Amino acid sequence: MGRKMDDIEAMFSDLLGEMDLLTQSLGVETVPPEAPLQKEVNYSIGFKDLNEWADLAAEIGEPQQSQKGHSNTLGVVPGQPSCFAPHHLRATQVGPPAATTLPPIAYSSSASPAPSFPAAPSPSPAPIVTSTPVPSQPSKPLTKEEEEAQAKADKIKLALEKLKEAKVKKLVVKVIMTDNSSKTLMVDETQTVRDILDNLFEKTHCDCNVDWCLYEENTYLQIERIFEDHDNMVECLSQWTRDSENRILFIERKDKYAVFKNPQNFYFGRKEKKEMKEKDKESLLEENFCGTSIIVPDLEGALYLKEDGKKSWKQRYFLLRASGIYYVPKGKTKTSRDLACFVQFDNVNVHYGTDYKNKYKAPTDYCFVLKHPQIQKESNYIKYLCCDDRWSLQLWVMGIRIAKYGKILYDNYRTAVQKAGLASRWSNLANVEAIASSVKTKAVPTQANGCPAQATPPVTSVSSAFSDAWKRADMSKANPAESKPAPAPPAPTMQEILPPPPPDPIMTQQECFLPPPPPDFYDLPPPPDDFSEPPPDFLPPPPPCPNAPPPPPPPLLTPAPAPVLKKVGPPPPKRTTPERSGSLHGGEQQDFMSELMKAMQKKSSK
Amino acid sequence: MANWDLQVTVEDLGPEAPPVSISVAGDLHIGGVILRIVDKTQIQKNWSDYALWWEQKKQWLLKTNWTLDKYGILADAKLFFTPQHKPIRLVLPNNCNLKINANFAGPVLRTVIDMCKILNIRHPEELSLLKPVEEKEKKRKKDKEEGVEEIYDLTGVVLSGGAPTLYNGVPAHFVDSPEKEAIYKMLSVSQPAPSPETMSKMYRPGNLIDKAQINSRWLDSSRSLMQQGILENDRLLMRFKYYSFFDLEPKYDVVRITQMYEQARWAILLEEIDCTEEEMMLFAALQYHINKLSLTSDHNHRSGNDQALEDLDSALQSLEVKMDNSLSSTEMLESITSIPELKDYLKIFRPKRLTLKGYKQCWFTFKDTSISYFKSKEESMGEPIQQMNLKGCEVAPDVNIAGQKFCIKLLIPAPDGMNEIYLRCDDEKQYSRWMAACRLASKGKTMADSSYQSEVQNILAFLTMQKKNPGTQVASDENINTHSLVSPRYQKKYKAKQLTPRILEAHQNVAQLTLMDAKIRFIQIWQSLPDFGLSYFVVRFKGCRKDEILGISNNRLIRIDLSIGDVVKTWRYNNMRQWNVNWDIRQVAIEFDGNVNIAFSCVTADCKIVHEYIGGYIFMSTRNKDQNDVLNEELFHKLTGGNEAL
Repeated sequence: MGRKMDDIEAMFSDLLGEMDLLTQSLGVETVPPEAPLQKEVNYSIGFKDLNEWADLAAEIGEPQQSQKGHSNTLGVVPGQPSCFAPHHLRATQVGPPAATTLPPIAYSSSASPAPSFPAAPSPSPAPIVTSTPVPSQPSKPLTKEEEEAQAKADKIKLALEKLKEAKVKKLVVKVIMTDNSSKTLMVDETQTVRDILDNLFEKTHCDCNVDWCLYEENTYLQIERIFEDHDNMVECLSQWTRDSENRILFIERKDKYAVFKNPQNFYFGRKEKKEMKEKDKESLLEENFCGTSIIVPDLEGALYLKEDGKKSWKQRYFLLRASGIYYVPKGKTKTSRDLACFVQFDNVNVHYGTDYKNKYKAPTDYCFVLKHPQIQKESNYIKYLCCDDRWSLQLWVMGIRIAKYGKILYDNYRTAVQKAGLASRWSNLANVEAIASSVKTKAVPTQANGCPAQATPPVTSVSSAFSDAWKRADMSKANPAESKPAPAPPAPTMQEILPPPPPDPIMTQQECFLPPPPPDFYDLPPPPDDFSEPPPDFLPPPPPCPNAPPPPPPPLLTPAPAPVLKKVGPPPPKRTTPERSGSLHGGEQQDFMSELMKAMQKKSSK
Repeated sequence: MANWDLQVTVEDLGPEAPPVSISVAGDLHIGGVILRIVDKTQIQKNWSDYALWWEQKKQWLLKTNWTLDKYGILADAKLFFTPQHKPIRLVLPNNCNLKINANFAGPVLRTVIDMCKILNIRHPEELSLLKPVEEKEKKRKKDKEEGVEEIYDLTGVVLSGGAPTLYNGVPAHFVDSPEKEAIYKMLSVSQPAPSPETMSKMYRPGNLIDKAQINSRWLDSSRSLMQQGILENDRLLMRFKYYSFFDLEPKYDVVRITQMYEQARWAILLEEIDCTEEEMMLFAALQYHINKLSLTSDHNHRSGNDQALEDLDSALQSLEVKMDNSLSSTEMLESITSIPELKDYLKIFRPKRLTLKGYKQCWFTFKDTSISYFKSKEESMGEPIQQMNLKGCEVAPDVNIAGQKFCIKLLIPAPDGMNEIYLRCDDEKQYSRWMAACRLASKGKTMADSSYQSEVQNILAFLTMQKKNPGTQVASDENINTHSLVSPRYQKKYKAKQLTPRILEAHQNVAQLTLMDAKIRFIQIWQSLPDFGLSYFVVRFKGCRKDEILGISNNRLIRIDLSIGDVVKTWRYNNMRQWNVNWDIRQVAIEFDGNVNIAFSCVTADCKIVHEYIGGYIFMSTRNKDQNDVLNEELFHKLTGGNEAL
């Protein structure tokens, strides 16, 4: 028994040592020491094709290079310590039907040495290894052995943690700014949309108000939606198909938190739209969002429903409840017990439909769509609804979001207010008050319909989520968005009230010091809230920039274009052995570990 | 001053005994009267709880320093010398009967506060007492013959001032005997589901007017029980009256939350509040879950185990096992992150294909959150025919036990829609394992998740339930009848075996909740029903000729047209300037901002009840956490008392 264990230990240690050597040698080969940014970048997505790697590297290298001159914020992925050997991925594809298990080829590109564990100070490349097995017969009374066992258990704990860290997945995404320029960002699966917004605030010098959002446009279905601040970005993007032309926009949307700015318009029925004292608004919010259970606005009315697979729209009477959307069946009354369930919110997101009068012959252009996040093409499982006017569309979409997300939505808003207040306060250089961290209360999220709050679980698989958003990244070096801050979007009212944007570099440092809280969230001047007459930039997103080059053909099968590689300052962070890439092109399904074993065997046989 | 004789009936002398006659003068104070009565009876006992009750005036003579003249008592006064505390039969929100000593002399608010203190319920101002529905004489007799209801007795408990001391979170007076412990269990653990027969016999309000009738039975909080004609050993219902639950805290509110849950449950089951079918299924699933947990975790109050530690433990365990068994180092490495898998022959059917082929047998493997299938076991090393990731998919059972059909229906999302797939298993065991795996995978969890085993057990339990139900309708503790989890409307609409899969489906969303969380979730869903917290009254508005319904809730008044049942108008307390009651013509008048004035008279209930409701809700909104749990009784009476408070 004991011998067996020793064997295993030795092998494990051997293996890890090899892996470390491999990674190190890779890093040395590919990463020039003077490119500090690259060090931080860990790709761990299962790529199908090495060419994509090259493309990606080129695209990432691009903005980073242009950034180097004046700022060092872009491209730095926060907080990922260099990882324990390779990313042991179980990446399976979700997206395309013909999904196959991808060989995980991702390596840490960092040239950092193996992580040193406090429990094992040995400088050997894989210190954890020796301690991995735990004595399986704890019955022996020897204290020394127990101590050893304890120490080993501790080490295993550490090892497991490192393994977890190593599995963090990252994506590169192109975000379109208000001036049609774009920024390329690296997002990892631990980041929420909020984190990315904060990141963008730092880079764009915008006014950071609560209306800024990441806005998803699905060009194929002609639908769009605001990503919620708690959404997991990687998870959202993973739903996109490989060939999708979906886009992510960084824009201001007055409808993002409209209910919190003017709750009376949503909770007092559509007729009584009027102004209200801030104090009353506050108590109204408290009443509806801070009780044991949140209250969904009363909302009912006739909507047009697109019939499955047909072009006709039929009117039905719909009601919103915390548990879902219901309709009144023919010949029935609208008492609760007679209602038929139309949809529950667990598995659907709400989107705006654009230009549906043309696309689907909708009665009006005020349409919204309910669909499973994974559905990306036309399908009978998508539900299309059409409202009479813009205001009623706003009521429905907001109402559904309240019912779906509940308290989380309000918490998001308060965090957003805090961030916005922070920005304006800082630029004022106003008196620094005591820090009231209470604003950031993370109450247990309660959902209106009583369903468990949808946490964002770590993504266990990544689909081929590479859309044009990053494929089409602008190759030209002179990208205006990167070399200078994006001009503040037209928001005349905001500019009158809010102070000018904050000086950026200080901002980045400030976050660690818990800056002064906003005075009181209702003190912030609410932006204009009149939905019936929205500003011209309200609904349609800006048209694509005419200067932008047409998207290059998807570089799926083309070999890595040499010119691209030349342009790139630092070489692509990852190059694998020819043997590997060969096997990849062959489409073989190979386990990463067995790959490694092979490499080891080769080495030892030498 | 001339002396005269005062007749006082002393209860302790027996019902037949003549009144005690004492000689008094008008300037004698009440304390002196009591002293003389006690002297005369020559009974040695503790008389401290006794006081004089003036029958004709329906008044307690509690101010012992007042003289007879000051009270206006003359020789013809009928006085009773009686204890201030008498036992009543209290029907709790869980419909259990509890014999408890109630204060008959103080205002009902005080009575409720005292009783809640014994019962360990915080925020007693939210509760009040109702008179029971008048039962017909015949029925009452029949009930008496049929069975003796179990009555819990708490009359022996006398609390001294101050908060009761707690032992392990249980008040000291509940731990001194097994009987008391049983009572605390009754209070803090939810009751087993009622049998459908019992439920169908119980009173259910059919419409808004019926619901309005319930509210006419509330006792007046500002007057005493005695003044309201309540006698010793009468039955009174205790219910949450104001639907504005302040500061629910699972740590301190075990009894309060349990009773609140019970009240909510009965409100749902007896259709006092309407809900949709989907909501009913969720309520049923939560009840099932709560019943099950209540049976198993009576005593072992498991403190929240550190989930992370458990995860680590299991990970370490699997690590050890793997290392013992395997020599291959690759396997060993994998084992660190190993996840259980399922492999078996199942039958698959895809209705989307236009072929009429039925189920086809294939070799299936379930790994992570994905199912792959192959022509046969031998080919499982190669490419699968198809691989499906179940994350985000819909899972539904398609089971017929009699026909030995165990199918899993999967709706798997793909970019172009949902793929419909049926998997057919051979038996319960196989089905429960695969079904549980599908369920977890749909939520993005793998079989490594700690909930996998309990999910398998849940599914098996439900299948057994279904097996036993038809025929024998026994609602024992072990075997819950699904019919007893839904209201009679759905008992009629669906057979038990139709209900089971739907409840199970709803159950998967709540299966991981702890007992207390499940109760709170039930309360939350109840609270989010559109009609929650509305108390109805039939009223007639000034200037109108027809009866209408006034609904009172914690933040607003609504006016409902009785004929169509629609809300006609809403007024919020926020805009309320003042409200008055004209006690002579029994009319309530309310003024709102913007010169809006309304006035109405109450048809079904006394206008004091309506007044108390409005004032009570305004009182509830004045509470805040800084108050240190001290109830401002004076303010409550000021807001709800009406003319009695003056």
